[in-house]
Amino acid sequence: MTFLSPLALLLAATVAVPLVLHLLRRKTGERVDFPALRYLLRAQREFSRTLKLRNLLLMLIRVAIVLALALAAARPVGRMIGSGHPPTALAIVLDNSLSTSVVVNGRPVLAQLKDAARDALGRAAPGDRVWLVTADGQVVGGDVGAVRGAVDRTDAFAGAGDLPAATARAVQLVQASGIPSRQVAVLTDGQASAWSRPTPLGGVTTVVFAAPGAAPRNRAVVRAVPAPPHWTPRGAVRAAISASDSVTFRVLLAGKPVARGTAAPGAEVEVRLQPAERGWLAGAVELEPDELRGDDVRWFAAHVGPPPAVAADQSAGSFARTAVDVLAQEGRVTRGSDVVIAGAEAARRPAVLFAPMQAVEIGAANRALQRAGIPWRFGAPRTGPTPVRGDGLDGVSATHWYALEPVAAAVGAVPADTLARAGGDAWAVAGDGYVLVASPLTTDATDLPVRAGWLPWLGAAIADRLGGEAGAVTEAAPGAHVVRPSWARELEWPDGTLHPVTEARPRAPVRAGVYFWRRGTARGAALVVNPEVTESDLARLGTAQLAAEFNGGPVEVNGEEARWLATVFAVGGRRALEGALLALAALLLVAEAAVTRVAPGATEEPD
Amino acid sequence: MTDPRASRPDLMDPALVAGLGSLELIARRIVDGFMQGLHRSPRKGFSVEFAEHRTYQSGDDLRYIDWKVLARSDRWMMKMNNEDTNLRATVVLDVSKSMDWTGSAARLTKAAYAERLAAAVAYLLLHQRDAVGLIRFDDRVRSVVPPRARNVHWHRIIAALEERGNGLGSDAPGGLIRAASMIPRPGMVVLISDLLMEPVEVADALKSLAAAGHHLTVLQVMDPAERDLGVTAVEAEFQDPETLQKLAATVPEVRDAYRTAVAETIEEWRGHLSGAAASHEVVMTDQPFAIPLRRAFLNRQFLP
Repeated sequence: MTFLSPLALLLAATVAVPLVLHLLRRKTGERVDFPALRYLLRAQREFSRTLKLRNLLLMLIRVAIVLALALAAARPVGRMIGSGHPPTALAIVLDNSLSTSVVVNGRPVLAQLKDAARDALGRAAPGDRVWLVTADGQVVGGDVGAVRGAVDRTDAFAGAGDLPAATARAVQLVQASGIPSRQVAVLTDGQASAWSRPTPLGGVTTVVFAAPGAAPRNRAVVRAVPAPPHWTPRGAVRAAISASDSVTFRVLLAGKPVARGTAAPGAEVEVRLQPAERGWLAGAVELEPDELRGDDVRWFAAHVGPPPAVAADQSAGSFARTAVDVLAQEGRVTRGSDVVIAGAEAARRPAVLFAPMQAVEIGAANRALQRAGIPWRFGAPRTGPTPVRGDGLDGVSATHWYALEPVAAAVGAVPADTLARAGGDAWAVAGDGYVLVASPLTTDATDLPVRAGWLPWLGAAIADRLGGEAGAVTEAAPGAHVVRPSWARELEWPDGTLHPVTEARPRAPVRAGVYFWRRGTARGAALVVNPEVTESDLARLGTAQLAAEFNGGPVEVNGEEARWLATVFAVGGRRALEGALLALAALLLVAEAAVTRVAPGATEEPD
Repeated sequence: MTDPRASRPDLMDPALVAGLGSLELIARRIVDGFMQGLHRSPRKGFSVEFAEHRTYQSGDDLRYIDWKVLARSDRWMMKMNNEDTNLRATVVLDVSKSMDWTGSAARLTKAAYAERLAAAVAYLLLHQRDAVGLIRFDDRVRSVVPPRARNVHWHRIIAALEERGNGLGSDAPGGLIRAASMIPRPGMVVLISDLLMEPVEVADALKSLAAAGHHLTVLQVMDPAERDLGVTAVEAEFQDPETLQKLAATVPEVRDAYRTAVAETIEEWRGHLSGAAASHEVVMTDQPFAIPLRRAFLNRQFLP
């Protein structure tokens, strides 16, 4: 409660008047000779208790009258119970992220949040304006009936959505309403990952209902990727499963189960596959259902094609020829000239290139690299046994190599990966259509060709980096913006239907699954929609922690729906109270008159 | 028809009547007016009338033997007559300081009203040739006028009424006992007081009078302000002029409780006095004198 004329509160000091009168009343008045004093004594004796109570009541009433008048003079403004609320702009932010679909006590959390939203809407008055903003960015405004219908229709989103953004949108809506009384009401499960960044409130009063209780345990597939993305046709699926106990999983490919197994808690699993189908395939890794169903399956897309045709150039040495023979025998490559393994002096693309065996050929090698469009050159020679650090290269060491230097003009223009390092130098790099190694493929320069990991490393380098046109695989969260390939005009949904897409940056579908961009009549690239990994972490914030995630405005977080509901529309309940106080004073005056009239011990008149 | 109050002092405002003259004159006028208003009674106060016969018993006075019956029927019968002696009455008047009070200057004090009422009672009884005495008391017996039936006795009573009183107390039992000693035969005792005293001792004294065969009448004189706490002050400190006891009170707050206390006290007096076979009448000082006179004698059959 605030006062527009606070100085008038000094009038409250006059409350001392009735108090003093009450205390001094027996000491005032004139002296009267009265022979019948014995009657008066008897009256005082018999009704003294009633008289004292009545006098005390009168004193309290008079004090209350003075206080009410003093408060009324101070022109208070505040909330008054039972007075309703003035027209208010209320935006309800409903958290319908995937985590709210978790079932607690046999009921999804989202259902509880929707109930609370409906209860809040039930308090709306005709002059109010209300909106519903969901975590997935949907906004519905208008009358209460329309918003209530939107609440009823709201389903759990397949992803995390963006609650801070939804809240910011709600703030904008109420600020733009032109209604002085504004409030944002947030209903959320309080998931820590959903409120991981500060949410500005712009001065708008915000009341938050956080679903009570602890989050249940959750199992989830948090990673499922093909390795490599282009299967030739062999490939593998690598999956990571979040669970507190061992869990069974299965792998689906093109809708058919192709593998199953058991994963230890926190372990990554790899399932090798060699599908008979060719082209783009949709796959999934899924678990047995638990309380949160939406993250029990994770989708991936793999492109399956024929093995690459590989040839070993003489400049690469005998180890290269032998390796190609072995890979061809295993069916991982075929003999051909699509991919070449050669010394850098014979550089072209696609190729796996090694440093030249003779130092005098370094200049020629650098020129060949430049001609092939490979943005690297061999620099100063390095010697000495040095361990090589890189995937699949455990135990490999280098005794002679050249420092790989990026060509200055090409730095940043062509992305390149460093596959391995020796000392402080890049030892193996990969880019568009090439894999470049800084040592010659001889045992004098490196023990790579005599290590057990040589052939797997070479096979993976060919398959992953040089295996052919795999097209793009885009990973996206539900509803997130994605880049449409310039050649694509349609998106094939998991049910086989084709949906035209014209925007350059359309939103990903809101349902998890594998979608394919169509190039003509064939699948040209994949769009894999999966919920954010963080959405599987159901840990919740406490009310204080959640309140700390908001800034720039008053915020109150409640874990009890009734208490939260009492705060909804409360922001606008401030109004002038002097009228009510004056009415109260009038009522007290009437009461004072009534109490004064009612004298104790009134009976019939004596004869 | 003319209003009888215009010509009858007994029906006039007592304060107005008090301005008509001396106490003696006022009493005469009141009684004269009062007598005019009475219907003629079939009873005669003093006449020898035959009552009944009874059989003679040894020791009876031979003067009352009915000789005619003896002559006719040879039976010894005694002729019984009504007693023909005059009434002997005593007015016991409270003249304590509490009586010297009025709640309004427009009214008589209780003492002034009571003196006029006592004079009227005395004159009324003398008028029908009864013997009347007067005892005035405050904290002790102030004056005693023995009962006499002679007309000159009236002046002695008037003279006694004009004596001073105003003692700081009311010794009503003493006055009543003194009255009993003055009336050896059963008679009438009229106590006129404001009864601002303890009822038990008064009742005991009255009981002893009743046991002696006296007819007892108590006229309780009250000022209307005593009945209603009719004082003008709102906050006041009240003081008893006799005991000098003080009490502060807010008049509007206690008025109803006070009225209740007065009513209860009067009822208690009625209880005590009925136990002593005494009639009790409350007389307000703003009432015409005819009212207490009628109430005092209504059921006593002492009127002519």
